[in-house]
Amino acid sequence: MGFFETTLASFIALIPVTLAQSLILSFVVLGIMIPFRMLSFPDLTSEGAFPLGGCVCGVLLAAGASPLVAIAVALLAGFLAGCCTAFIHLRFRIHSLLAGILIMTMLYSVNLRIMGRSNLSVFGNPTVFDWVPGMQAGFPASKIVVAGLISLLVLALLYFFFKTEKGTAVRAVGSNPDMAEAQGINVWAATIGGIGLAGAFSAGSGALMVQSQGFADVNMGLGILINGLAALMIGEAITGKQTVLRQLAAPFVGAIVYYQLVSLCLAAGMPPPDLKLATGLFVLTMLALPSLKLSRGPAAAKETFRE
Amino acid sequence: MLEIQSARKVFYKGQADEKIALDGLNLSLKTGEFGVVIGSNGAGKSSMLNAISGSLVLDSGKVLINDDDVTPMPVHKRAARLARVFQDPMRGTAASMTVAENMLLAELRAKTRSLRPGLNAARLASYKERLAVLGLGLENRLNTKVELLSGGQRQSLSLIMAVGGSPELLLLDEHTAALDPRTADIVMQATIRTVEALKLTTLMVTHNMQHAVDFGDRVIMLDAGKMRLEIAGEEKANVTVTDLIGHFSVKTDRMLLAS
Repeated sequence: MGFFETTLASFIALIPVTLAQSLILSFVVLGIMIPFRMLSFPDLTSEGAFPLGGCVCGVLLAAGASPLVAIAVALLAGFLAGCCTAFIHLRFRIHSLLAGILIMTMLYSVNLRIMGRSNLSVFGNPTVFDWVPGMQAGFPASKIVVAGLISLLVLALLYFFFKTEKGTAVRAVGSNPDMAEAQGINVWAATIGGIGLAGAFSAGSGALMVQSQGFADVNMGLGILINGLAALMIGEAITGKQTVLRQLAAPFVGAIVYYQLVSLCLAAGMPPPDLKLATGLFVLTMLALPSLKLSRGPAAAKETFRE
Repeated sequence: MLEIQSARKVFYKGQADEKIALDGLNLSLKTGEFGVVIGSNGAGKSSMLNAISGSLVLDSGKVLINDDDVTPMPVHKRAARLARVFQDPMRGTAASMTVAENMLLAELRAKTRSLRPGLNAARLASYKERLAVLGLGLENRLNTKVELLSGGQRQSLSLIMAVGGSPELLLLDEHTAALDPRTADIVMQATIRTVEALKLTTLMVTHNMQHAVDFGDRVIMLDAGKMRLEIAGEEKANVTVTDLIGHFSVKTDRMLLAS
């Protein structure tokens, strides 16, 4: 077999595993999209909220809690982390990126405290992936079914929410906070709630990841933010972001495509240590494109990823 | 009615560049009255509007709307009682949202926002009807994002959004200053028509002396954070642009050009 066939064969063999992983990680991409796109609040909390959710879930599973309870507590912890970032930004007028870095850094210690050590095996404990009837536990298909169903449910709920009166108000805060306030919308409540929700999604993603991989690790979030941004950009390139539905679908589509691309690169022989460099260069290219195109055609629209 | 009682606000207090924005300002506007505020730059007009809307916290003094003390209320709480059109067309609308969504946000200004779907057929029909009054074709662009509208269209939309639901107080902050003369005229005519039709209590800040002469029941001139002059009734009916400009201690080119 030549290089091409080998690459293709190992890539195809990995498709189901990668799909399961990407569906689980799509929630962290969602937790990045909501602050950046819906609230115009560049936020890095997810880098800390993801392992936070993982650590909380790991400890609870190890203590014998039900996997659903573990996820629920992880969601709550992530929600509080997001609220803290938003509150620090609003109350002390600290730049949202710096507020996110502060929370993320502090969460590293918190995560270590929660677990009491740097990693924890929960292999063999019950998980939400065990409950799919007629499927062997731990098999990628059961993870694809469970994570896929949750994705669809979350997507539908968010779509419905952002079309309601309350949801429209939250979007107005992201679009023009001065205007939102003048229209009677409590900007603080919307921002804290929205960033909290994003933190909950990131933590939920971490919790699912721990149940999927069978262990929790304080370093499991390393680089997740840049991976998530790359996934989001790919998703937006595919779905567009003209409507609420397209914007909401972007994280899911992006996560699925991004992790398959990564898998393809690895199958083609890219050394795993180079992955973060490659992802970083990709995100940089995507961010730089508008300014490189400036000389031709109209000026690029304001890019909220750039600060 | 609106009442401002000995409002005082000092910026950079105790520093070399201390600036008294409002110096014991008193002002009252009866229900249904249309007040026009003029004054040179730095006279305290914007500070006064910000103090009424809540985005400026007073050092001392009170703001009352229909006899209720709103002084401790934040901006979003006061929004239930007053509406404001900003000078900058970009400030009064949510650019990345559609015309209909902006209308919805304004409609819910004084209401509790529910978890029911925001836009429905009945609402869209009423927005269409209300926007048609402007004659700018906005009624056919309900699903257009506001960022694609011109400044004049955005400002007209802001006006329709502000007057919807008949707010207890309407604040117009040089709302035609950023528009070209023809569009400014359209927006101004629409303003006068609605304010008269709905009998809104209105406070309009303007640098356009012709507008101050032509519109409103009373001209209020601010200077150094205080009321310097008030022209109402018979006197207001007969006042001319030259009279008004004569009252400015500092005549700026901008005022002469604007009139």
